[in-house]
Amino acid sequence: MKRYSFTCYHQPIEEGLALLGGPLPDHDTQWPEWEVFIQERRGGSHINVGAVHAPDGEMALILAKETFTRRQPCVNLWIVNTQDIHSTRYEDEAIFQSTFDRSYRNTTGFKLEKPVQATEVS
Amino acid sequence: MTASETAALKTMLFALADDEFIIGHRMSEWTGLGPIIEEDIAFSSMAQDEMGHALGLYSLLHQMGEDEPDTLAFLRPADAFRNSICVELSRGDYAFSLMRQLLYDGAEAERFEALTQSSFPDLANLAAKIVQEERYHWIHNTMLVQRLAKGTEESRIRMQSALSELFPYSLGLFEPFGGNDLLVAANIAPDENTLRQRWLNRMCPLLISYGLAVPAHQKGDNWTGDVEAVFGGRNGRHTEHLMNILDAIQLLRKADPKAAW
Amino acid sequence: MTEEQLLEKFEARIRRNEKIEPGDWMPDRYRNGLIRMISQHAHSEVIGALPEGTWIPYAPSFKRKMALIAKVQDEIGHGQMLYRAAETLGISREEMINQLLTGKAIYSNVFNYPADTWADIAIIGWLVDGAAIVNQTKLLLGSYGPYSRAMERICFEEGFHLKQGYDNVCHLMGGTQKQRDMVQESFTRWWWPLMMFFGPRDKDSVHSSDLMRWKVKIKSNDELRQEFLSSFVPKIRAFGLAIPDPDLRFHEDTKEWTFTDPDWDEFHRVIRGNGPMNKERLGVRRLAHEEGRWVREALEAFVNEGKSA
Repeated sequence: MKRYSFTCYHQPIEEGLALLGGPLPDHDTQWPEWEVFIQERRGGSHINVGAVHAPDGEMALILAKETFTRRQPCVNLWIVNTQDIHSTRYEDEAIFQSTFDRSYRNTTGFKLEKPVQATEVS
Repeated sequence: MTASETAALKTMLFALADDEFIIGHRMSEWTGLGPIIEEDIAFSSMAQDEMGHALGLYSLLHQMGEDEPDTLAFLRPADAFRNSICVELSRGDYAFSLMRQLLYDGAEAERFEALTQSSFPDLANLAAKIVQEERYHWIHNTMLVQRLAKGTEESRIRMQSALSELFPYSLGLFEPFGGNDLLVAANIAPDENTLRQRWLNRMCPLLISYGLAVPAHQKGDNWTGDVEAVFGGRNGRHTEHLMNILDAIQLLRKADPKAAW
Repeated sequence: MTEEQLLEKFEARIRRNEKIEPGDWMPDRYRNGLIRMISQHAHSEVIGALPEGTWIPYAPSFKRKMALIAKVQDEIGHGQMLYRAAETLGISREEMINQLLTGKAIYSNVFNYPADTWADIAIIGWLVDGAAIVNQTKLLLGSYGPYSRAMERICFEEGFHLKQGYDNVCHLMGGTQKQRDMVQESFTRWWWPLMMFFGPRDKDSVHSSDLMRWKVKIKSNDELRQEFLSSFVPKIRAFGLAIPDPDLRFHEDTKEWTFTDPDWDEFHRVIRGNGPMNKERLGVRRLAHEEGRWVREALEAFVNEGKSA
């Protein structure tokens, strides 16, 4: 009986072996990066979970769907070109820190004055 | 359901289950070897979807008194399989696999959309789940086929070549099977000819809009294929491609028949 | 600030268990050490997909087949995340992939061994992933933000990998004699690559106290190996598997395992490209890459066409 043998992984790879040691062509694709934001449920915020490489935003969306939402609930996906993200510098981290007491603008920090007594209206 | 309706339904379910199982297998051959990391991941997800559909359909058959899904999928001989020849063809290059996916998923969507109206509730429910998963497949496949049909001269040639080769086989997805008329009369399943017509009317203009030549022509509102469909699969007549698949999936079981896996 | 002051600030941050983020000042040795480590990790995932991917067509049931496809898919996904983490340090994904395909990069030695039988899938899923988890849970504590964030997602997914491997081993060991023999034979072959998984003994390693101080390397090779042995040897013995090292012993007093060293010459030979599967692994990846070139070029051309239209 003819033995049908198959495996795509062991397909004759002489071609592949012959390529080893040779140089790769100069340019292969290095596509832009797109940051991926997942909204897990309606009402929630979109959270950054990683990035994909894709030639444009439309493709980035369909690729991000499987790269990042296989195990995470998702109702909506955003992608943003990484280059369009403006960010502060970590060197300037200090701008976010208060050196003076700002508790006055917190619910617990703002202190109530003595309650006012109601007076009789004559 | 009458006994003949049940028999006809099982015939159909075997065809659909085997289609999903075999194409899922072919798709999974790309896992780890795709052209782009993220696309590899997406294609693997779709492979798992098709496998899941197969499992759902085999489970339905099991509920109706047939063997367990694993037995049905992993132990039957080639002539018991009822998949179309289209899905058993070896994976070819990425153009071939993508084009096959577009043509197949298009048929799958039409078919299961119609089956959501089946008078057999378990099938209608399963069909609804399948239709939902197929939405992403359609978005993915149309995007990729369109872009590759237009991208470079090489990609256009490859996609065209894949389409020309696959078209007659994809018509085989609608090979007539015994009992279809009973199922139609009982509102259990749609008519294969109607499905084929809907599929042609949807796919032909779409592929032409991508700049591809389709071996079909339009008369009035309807498209007709200009090539003969490749039949045989629905009657258990398969090619060496299916033998290759079964050799692989049955290797372990044949080596140790008493074992459970 | 002087270089010294910058270094002190950088090291103080790490001592406080704060993360270093992209854009922070960092010493070149830190940057380059991380690029090497993360890219090697990424390559290991992508190459690691191959021994198991080989068996997808042969998986004998729905449960095994779907779990295996998902696992191999995850490995490609991990590669994706790790390449991304390395890119934040100033190297492109294309450059890293080129290094791998031209044989200039190394990856985990363990994947240069063949997956000869179905039982190898069970053993790899259980013990190789198990060893990886021992390593990866430490990397969560690493100082570089993008790497430790990637590790969070990876560790989350690895739990499933271990489980499907362990389940497969349980099933096979509880099966026919042929199945049990297959597992034993597989395990015997994989024992030595597993013992080499964490790298040479500390005393023979190119020591980098910097990388430890900078929390790039969290635990030493020996420490990781000890943890692996403590976690897995009892379970291996519980299965009744014979361990091919008669001198493997746990000492209650020192709480340490002693064992026969694997062949470290073999380790070095394999990592330099002369293992049983090095050429085949790279050959398959190189071929897949070449076969996919037209796809990448076409997708890029399509977008550029749209831009110039």
